[in-house]
Amino acid sequence: MLRRIRTTKKLAKRIDLQYFKRAHPLRRWRFWLSLAVPVVALGWLVAQRTQGGQKAYSSGPLSASHAVFTQQCSLCHVTRAAAFFEEVSDAACLACHDAPVHHVNQVFTPPCSSCHLEHKGSIHLSDTSTASCTQCHESLRVRDGKPHFAESIASFDREHPDFSPAAKKLTDPGQLRLNHYLHLQSNLMGPNGKRVQMNCEDCHQLTGEPEQFAYAGDLVTTGSLDQATSLHTRPRPSPMVSVKFAADCAGCHTLQFDTRFGPEQVPHDKPEVVHAFLVKRFQEYIVRNPAAVHEPEPPARQVPTRIRPVRMAGNASEWVQFRVDDAEWLLWSKTCKQCHALRSTGGSLPEIVSSGIRTRWLEHATFDHRAHRMMACTACHAQALDSHDTADVLLPGIQTCRECHQDVARSREVAEGRCFECHEYHDWSKARPSKHRFSIPELRGTAKLQMP
Amino acid sequence: MSSKPSAEIQLTIDGTNISVPAGTTIFDAARLNGIAIPTLCHQQNENPVGVCRVCVVDVGQRVYAASCIRQAEPGMNVKTCSEPVQAARHTLIELLMSDHPSPCARQQHSGDCELERLAAAAGVREARFPKRSTRRGKDDSSAVIAVDHESCILCDRCIRGCDDIRHNWVLARRGKGYQAGIAFDTNLPMAESSCVSCGECMVSCPTGALTNKRVVGTELGQGDVLDPTELLHLPIFQNVSGTFLELNQKAVVKRHYRAGEIICREGEFGSTAFYILEGKAEVFLASPMAHVETAGTSQGFFRKLKSMLSPREQHRRSEESDRPFIPIDASVDLPYDRPIAELNPGDLFGEMTCMSYYPRSATVRAKTDCVMLEMLRNVLDILQRNKTFRAQLERNYRARALDSHLRGVPIFSSLTKDFIDHLRDRVELVRFSPGQVICRQGDVADSFYLVRIGFVKVSEERPGGELILAYLARGGYFGEIALLSGSPRTATCTALDHVEVVRIARTDFELMLERFPDVRGKLESIAHERVAENRRRTTQLQTLPVDQFLANGLMEAQSLLVLDLERCTRCDQCVHACADAHDGVSRLVREGLRFDKYLVATSCRQCRDPLCMVGCPVGSIRRRNSLEVIIEDWCIGCGLCANNCPYGNINLHPFPVELDDPAHPGRKIASTRVKATSCDLCHDHAEPSCVYACPHDAAHRVNPPEFFAGLLKQSSVAKG
Amino acid sequence: MAILAVAVASYIPYSLRSPQGPRGGSVPGLIYGSVGFSFMLFAGLLGFRKKFPIWRIGRAQTWMRGHLWLGFLAFPLILLHGGFHFGGLLTRVLMWLFILVFTSGLLGAALQHFMPRLHTAQLPMETIYEQIDRVRGQLVEEAQQIVEECCAALEGDVSSATERQRAAAASAGASWDVTVASGMQVDEQASTELRGVLSTEIRPYLEKTGGHGVRIKDAPVAAALFRQLRVLLPSTLHSNIDDLENICEEKRQLDKQSRLHKILHGWLLVHVPVSYALLLLGAWHAVVALRF
Repeated sequence: MLRRIRTTKKLAKRIDLQYFKRAHPLRRWRFWLSLAVPVVALGWLVAQRTQGGQKAYSSGPLSASHAVFTQQCSLCHVTRAAAFFEEVSDAACLACHDAPVHHVNQVFTPPCSSCHLEHKGSIHLSDTSTASCTQCHESLRVRDGKPHFAESIASFDREHPDFSPAAKKLTDPGQLRLNHYLHLQSNLMGPNGKRVQMNCEDCHQLTGEPEQFAYAGDLVTTGSLDQATSLHTRPRPSPMVSVKFAADCAGCHTLQFDTRFGPEQVPHDKPEVVHAFLVKRFQEYIVRNPAAVHEPEPPARQVPTRIRPVRMAGNASEWVQFRVDDAEWLLWSKTCKQCHALRSTGGSLPEIVSSGIRTRWLEHATFDHRAHRMMACTACHAQALDSHDTADVLLPGIQTCRECHQDVARSREVAEGRCFECHEYHDWSKARPSKHRFSIPELRGTAKLQMP
Repeated sequence: MSSKPSAEIQLTIDGTNISVPAGTTIFDAARLNGIAIPTLCHQQNENPVGVCRVCVVDVGQRVYAASCIRQAEPGMNVKTCSEPVQAARHTLIELLMSDHPSPCARQQHSGDCELERLAAAAGVREARFPKRSTRRGKDDSSAVIAVDHESCILCDRCIRGCDDIRHNWVLARRGKGYQAGIAFDTNLPMAESSCVSCGECMVSCPTGALTNKRVVGTELGQGDVLDPTELLHLPIFQNVSGTFLELNQKAVVKRHYRAGEIICREGEFGSTAFYILEGKAEVFLASPMAHVETAGTSQGFFRKLKSMLSPREQHRRSEESDRPFIPIDASVDLPYDRPIAELNPGDLFGEMTCMSYYPRSATVRAKTDCVMLEMLRNVLDILQRNKTFRAQLERNYRARALDSHLRGVPIFSSLTKDFIDHLRDRVELVRFSPGQVICRQGDVADSFYLVRIGFVKVSEERPGGELILAYLARGGYFGEIALLSGSPRTATCTALDHVEVVRIARTDFELMLERFPDVRGKLESIAHERVAENRRRTTQLQTLPVDQFLANGLMEAQSLLVLDLERCTRCDQCVHACADAHDGVSRLVREGLRFDKYLVATSCRQCRDPLCMVGCPVGSIRRRNSLEVIIEDWCIGCGLCANNCPYGNINLHPFPVELDDPAHPGRKIASTRVKATSCDLCHDHAEPSCVYACPHDAAHRVNPPEFFAGLLKQSSVAKG
Repeated sequence: MAILAVAVASYIPYSLRSPQGPRGGSVPGLIYGSVGFSFMLFAGLLGFRKKFPIWRIGRAQTWMRGHLWLGFLAFPLILLHGGFHFGGLLTRVLMWLFILVFTSGLLGAALQHFMPRLHTAQLPMETIYEQIDRVRGQLVEEAQQIVEECCAALEGDVSSATERQRAAAASAGASWDVTVASGMQVDEQASTELRGVLSTEIRPYLEKTGGHGVRIKDAPVAAALFRQLRVLLPSTLHSNIDDLENICEEKRQLDKQSRLHKILHGWLLVHVPVSYALLLLGAWHAVVALRF
């Protein structure tokens, strides 16, 4: 039986009326912590300032190429006198870099920083996003008149028009006849009388490949170096090595001119040179074999479809002339004509139409064959297997590219599909020479930076 | 007692021949001749009645004669101490002692119980007879005289003293057989009777049946003790029993005060009253006329939470008081605007303090050199019953205070002076003791009452119990409803303590209404209000299962602050807000009993019958026209309301104030004043601050029957 | 919620379009950032509002709701502002601070939801937290009084026991019916034992905040002790034992209340200071970011 009775009055009288005004551990702690923690934060800010300058305010690590300047915020964030904002203006970038304008007709020039995002970590600054390009190219407008290019390109795998050869149904203007289909048959007569099956790479090589050409003769050297070292890492224009006769054709297409000389070939050169060569050779021959003046011409040398009257020469010079004519007749009508187009100029010697092999089909983009070297040539150039005409343009359409190259934003399991992979914004043909102005102490921060 | 011509009679007493005048009693005859006969009920100054028979003597007849009453006859042979007589006496004393609670009070206090002395002298040690089984009880009601009926031997001395000597005609006999005893008036408790506490009966009583009560602190420390004869010379002490004064000599003293001296301070507790013999005194309120401010204004960002007093000049409350006078415990009331008045010789102040131990209601300072009588309650009680004193008091009241009292009742403010003069002598001042009913519900209405002093409880009898309607203090009035409507009394009015009312008879009341029709109009509207309020209360109570509500006073409340404990995070925001709104003094404490999931916070409940209001010496805690209990500016900080509140909702706070330094006029001294504070529902805001500031919607000010109606209904359904 | 929906809806096209992805500095990014920060500022102002509870500038409840909702919304907005990246050092620190504040706020909201119920149900004799020590002191005195009274009764000192009972009527939360066990047999030994129990078991428990290490901290152990006492003392004093037990129970509840209250309010020790630091650093970040 409890005798303690709780009444409101007794309970209330226990309490000191001023209790809520007095400090209590919880309240005290809260108060002091509320003072201490911001002070600590402030202290941290101050410490950051004294230690690392303004590094704490960086919104992310710098790209690989600028990382060395991490402490030098003012290299890019230029302080202007009497201004609060230390923004990154184009002038800051241009202090080191050159950035030729893209096109003289463009409606506006985006600032450097709108495409080249720094503080995103160790990326390539030049790998700009698709949006950098589509900000204009999605609805293209030019200052005067209509644009020459597609008006709306938003991404590679959707709106990008097909490559111009396919789109415009161009034909190869080359005057050198070639039938790819034939060359890829399996029973071709190769050098030294053997039968060969040719592959694409027997004629077409990548730049800088070290291997010797299997069917080349001693005269053959592998391809030249690519173009002069580019200042830019990407895109690297890397066309295929131009197909040269000496390297790629001479092994099978021999230029023999006369059985008397056996396998000797005329030089693969202009008709004048060939003529001079022939004259020289025949002259040497007749000097060595004066009796040959009177030898009849064997009939086997006749081209079956073209029967020429055989002329007997009277004397050596005549014989030379006749033989040269014969050889030239062979050459001009058969051998050379097999590939080249000849044009009569009204003189004695024809003119070989310039072969006009177009090595660069994509004018506004570059394609790097080296990056695709793991692929079989026919994976993209499948038309080559079926190409009978010289006029065939064997470039793949954009669909082929899109098999692998798609918008990176949609899936990570694609090849790079952003614009910079093939296209270049800055018109480097108009690049100006660099201004070499900074000293090492300036760049490393031990000396004051003199910005132009 | 007869007045016959004094012829001499010869008789023999104990062998001695004596001659006495005719008509002398045997007792007197013996006494005249040096023979002492033991008596008990006979007192020299009273007529003998011969009831105790202790004085029996052998007169040679068949039965012994009571010598106190039997007249001497010629030739009587009286034997006063023969063996048979002694044996008879012995038996008588034994019989008397058998019912006597030995040692009785008198024997204990002063060792002079006459019966016990007799018993000792007669050698009566143990009574052979059993005690009576019926008990006649005690009567403790009088402040001055203790009545122990057990010790009473029915000797009749008190009755004779009261009737024959004092002519007060209060005492008489009652009952028969074993129930016989003495009674006051119609067997009322002594204090309720017309007994004037003259003390004659007490003085007459031989045993401890009527003894002088020891009042706590009977002796006043300071002052000059007066000789009873001196006191009796004062006109107010006329007809007061000298014996009484002798017995209570130190309970009244004469005090001298120099001009400027403080006689008593407001708020102090005391037990004495003062009567001014000479000189004038000032009575005033020393507390600043200010209230603890209820403001919601901000005072800067870094203000400290300090309580502040806001005097009337600086900040008037939105509702001004409707009372022109502040009622205090003296013969005058203080005007509200300038609370200071003068007391003259013949004025009494401190009545309530003395009689009911309330705190002093005002500060009294001697204006000139004064001579005063300071007295304790027993003396004042006697004075109050003394006819001369009462006459003077009433004269004073009629002359000075009746006017302001009547006018203090707002509805009577338009009475003309001549009518008040007319009323002056026609009103009656009636005293009531604590608990006495002034008028009862259902009685015929014959008067209108004005409260002069004390507290009156107005209540109504209902089927479920008593419902208290109001408490009235000095200046309050009641009784008008029945007079106006001609119906029986609608409520019972009881005196809570020593109450004195001014009774205005029906005829005068009606005359007043006739002559002043606007008074009638006001009275009627107030009567209507009161009736409507009562009706409303009745209907409200009828719709609730009242009997199932908690007993801890929730039903009494009209507004509760409840904290929903399931939402309250004990963050103290409510307390902070309350303190902010009341200058650092919180009016609520987050502690109390629970009801269901609610904590009933300790904050004023605006009770239906506000116990806090009972006893406020200056009537400053009250309701005006709305629900909340307000503490007016003139609170003197006595703390009675805080004690009375059964829930501890009122708290006292000291405030530093600057007062005029009496010792160095013109300078101020720092002092502390205490004021009482209580929740006022933040009546000058739309919402109470605590409710407003609770971030979790846990604090609510609710009307309990409505708020808990759902719970009550559930519980009533469950209980069936 | 509408704001959040709008914010999220506008984020998607924004993130797809901008040339370098969503950034803090781009216009929408700035909008997110400033709106988010303004939400945080308002949330921080709640502390200010609580300092002036009577200012009629909106109910405390409204502010509280606003604090919760806006604080909640600020989180996704800041996420959107930063494009879900953490950025550099300062922003990383900021983000972690924000996460800390946010989670502590969520925790606090959860605590404030279900803890009061727990608190109320488990602690019928709770009092005001800040006054627990004071009440505890009063309990000690009360226990002392009870034991003294019992001992006085046991030792036969009836009248003084009565007085003490009366004197004890003013102690914490108790009022007494004065009944004196008169007519009991004097038992000095029991009295001594009782006093011993008081000084070795009960008093140390009552006087120690938290009551750790004291035997009767466990309710079953205490019940056993009091059972023993009831055996020891005559039945007339059993109500006193009941009172002692009740006092110990009250102490137990007060200790529990102390613990629960600390839980209920402890999270604020993290939430409030860190939020101030957050606001400070956030403002600094805004300044610095705009500067660069």
